[in-house]
Amino acid sequence: MITAGIDIGSSALKMVIWESTGKILARYVGRAGYGSEARAREFCHSIGVHIDATVATGYGRGLIDWADRSVTELTCQVRWARQEVPAARTIIDIGGQDCKVIRISESGTLADFLLNDKCAAGTGRFLEVMAAALDVPVEELSGVPDGPSVSISSTCTVFAESEVMSAVAGGRNKQEVIRGINNAVASRVAALALRLGCVPDLVITGGVAQNARIVDAIASILSTRPVVPKEPQLTAAWGAALLAHDKFLSKREGSY
Amino acid sequence: MSRLTSTDYLKKVMSRYYTGLRIPSPGKRIAWVTSGAPVEILRAMNIQVAYPENYAALCAARRQSQRLIEIAESSGLSGDLCSYARCHIGSVLSPNAAPWKGLPRPAVLICCNNICSTVTLWYEYLADILKVPLFFIDTPRVDGAPASHQVAYVKRQLEDLVCFLEARFGRRLDEQALKATLKTSAQTAKLWANIRSTAMKRPSPIEAPDLFIAMAPIVVLRGTRAALDFYQLLHKELLVRIDNGVGIGRYERVRLVWDNIAIWHALFRVNQMFAAHGGVFVADTYTGGWTFELMEGDPLESMAHAYLSVFLNKGFADRLADLEKTLSEYGADGLVMHANRSCKPYSLIQPELAREISRRMGLPILLLESDMADPRAYAEEQLRLRIEAFMEQLGGIL
Ligand code: SF4
Repeated sequence: MITAGIDIGSSALKMVIWESTGKILARYVGRAGYGSEARAREFCHSIGVHIDATVATGYGRGLIDWADRSVTELTCQVRWARQEVPAARTIIDIGGQDCKVIRISESGTLADFLLNDKCAAGTGRFLEVMAAALDVPVEELSGVPDGPSVSISSTCTVFAESEVMSAVAGGRNKQEVIRGINNAVASRVAALALRLGCVPDLVITGGVAQNARIVDAIASILSTRPVVPKEPQLTAAWGAALLAHDKFLSKREGSY
Repeated sequence: MSRLTSTDYLKKVMSRYYTGLRIPSPGKRIAWVTSGAPVEILRAMNIQVAYPENYAALCAARRQSQRLIEIAESSGLSGDLCSYARCHIGSVLSPNAAPWKGLPRPAVLICCNNICSTVTLWYEYLADILKVPLFFIDTPRVDGAPASHQVAYVKRQLEDLVCFLEARFGRRLDEQALKATLKTSAQTAKLWANIRSTAMKRPSPIEAPDLFIAMAPIVVLRGTRAALDFYQLLHKELLVRIDNGVGIGRYERVRLVWDNIAIWHALFRVNQMFAAHGGVFVADTYTGGWTFELMEGDPLESMAHAYLSVFLNKGFADRLADLEKTLSEYGADGLVMHANRSCKPYSLIQPELAREISRRMGLPILLLESDMADPRAYAEEQLRLRIEAFMEQLGGIL
C-alpha cells in the first residue's frame, strides 16, 4: 500500500510518499505559499504510482481538499515518533512560525501540548530575521564554534533585532552575536518545554533542529540528550503518511 | 442544529428593555450600574438601570466594539484596560460612533467592586467626565462564607445607598416593594440555576453559547417579571428536550466546560471549531455567577450576603472547589480556559487552577489566549490549531 503525507507549513511545503513495506518512496521540501496545492498535486502525480490514501497537515492543511483527512501537525508528529522513536515521550518541534512542545503518552498517543505565544520568539522566523540583520545566510548561524556570546533578552523579535543591531554597532564580533541569537532561541524553547515538563526521551524536530548549536544549547538547559532525526523537517509529513496508512486500513476493514 | 424557540421571546424582552431605556417619560431616572451591583434596591425605587458591561458585550457580539475601543485608546486610555471599559468609554466619548448612540445618560452611577477593581476607576472616570454623582460599594474579599463583620460592613453601605437614592430622587424606598423585587430575583436566580443544571443530562439539551446569549436578562433584568417569564419558558423547553431524549441536535462526542467570559465577537465561530469534532460545551463558569441564593430575613442583610459571595470576590480555594465541582457534576471530558486578556481577576488565576485541576482530576485542559471584546487579540488560525489538536488529544485519531 502507498500513502501520502502533505505538510503545508508557514514557510515550507513538505511531502512524503510512503510504502507500507516501511520505505519512503519520495520526499519533497520546497517553499510554501501560493501554488502549494498545485505543487502537491503535481508531486503526487509525478510519482507514477497509485496513492491509496492521503493525509494533509500543517497550517495550510485545509487547502488539500482532496485529502482523505486533515490532521494537526501535533498528532502527525506523535504518530511518526510512535514508529521511528518509540521511546520518545516529549517532542519539541521548532517550525517557521511556531514552536510546539508535545507530550506523548505511554501508549503512544497525544497526551498534552503547549504552543508558543503569539509571537516569533523561538521560531525559525526569528532566526531568519536575525540572519538578515547580520547579512548572513541562515545556515551560517549553526556553524559557529563555542565561545562567548552577547545576551539578547527581548522576547519581541523586533526589539531583539534592535538588540542585535546595537551589539553590532557596539563592535561585538559576529560570532558572539550569532551565539547570542542561537542561545536566545534555545532558552525560549527550553522555557516552553519546562513549562509542560520535559519527560525523556526527547526528540527535536522541525527545520530549526538542523541548527546543531541550538540543539546543543537546548540539551544543556534541559540536561537531556535529544534525538534529532535525519530529516527533522519531514517528520510531520511522514507521520501524516503513516496516519493515511492507518486510515486506509481501517476503511478497508470497515471499522472507520 | 436545533434552535431554542424561546430565543424569539428573549429577543423581544431584550429589545423592549433597550428601547424602554431610551423612551423619555416624566420623572424618569437612569442609573448606570456594574453587573454585581445590588440592583433590587433601585428597581424597588422605580429607577431604571443600564449596564455598561452588558452594553459593551452587545457591541462586541455585533462586531462593533473595535471602533469604540480605538476611540478610547486614542483618547489616552491604555490598551491593557478591560475591553468592556474601553468599549463603553469609547461610546461615551463618541456617541455617534456607537450602536444606538450609546446608553442614555445616567443621573447616578452605582459601582460595586465585588467583581474587580477595574470598575472602581472606570466609574470614577465616568463620574468625572459626565459630572454625575457616584455611589461606591466596597465588598472585601471573601473566603468560604462571608464573615458577619463583612456582612455588617456591606449592609451599612446598602443603608447609605438607600439614603443617597432617597435624597437624590426624592422618593422613599418601600420595604414591601423591595421584598417583592427580591423574591422575584431569588426565583429567577433559582430558575437560572435549574436551567444550567439541565445540561448535566446526556445528551445535554443546551450548550454554553446558548447560555451566554440567554444570560442577558438575569444580568440586566434581574428582579423583573419579564426575566422570570423568559426563564420559565426556556426551562420548560429544555425539560421537553430532556423528556424526548433530544440534545442540542448534534453529536455529543466529548463534554467540555468553558472557563471565563465568552469571546463575544466570535462566540459561534469558536464554538463551531469544537463542534466540528464532536465537542459540546455543557457548562461554563461565567453564567454560573448569577445563580446566587438570597436568604429569607432582613432584605438588606441577605443582599449584603449574596453580593459579597459572587465568585470573582472569592479566593483561590473557593474558585478551585467551584471549578472542580462543575467539572465533575457535568461529567466533563475536558476543560477549556479562555485566558481573557481583559479580565484580570478572572484570568490571572487560571494557570494555577489548571495545574491543580490537572493534578487532581487528570483532565485534559486547553488554555486559549484571546479577549472577550477586543477582536485585535483574536488570532483565528492560532486558535484553530490549538483547538483541533486538543480535540485530537481528546480521542479518536490515534
Ligand atoms: S475586569 Fe473583568 S470583572 Fe472587571 S469589568 Fe472587566 S470583565 Fe468585568
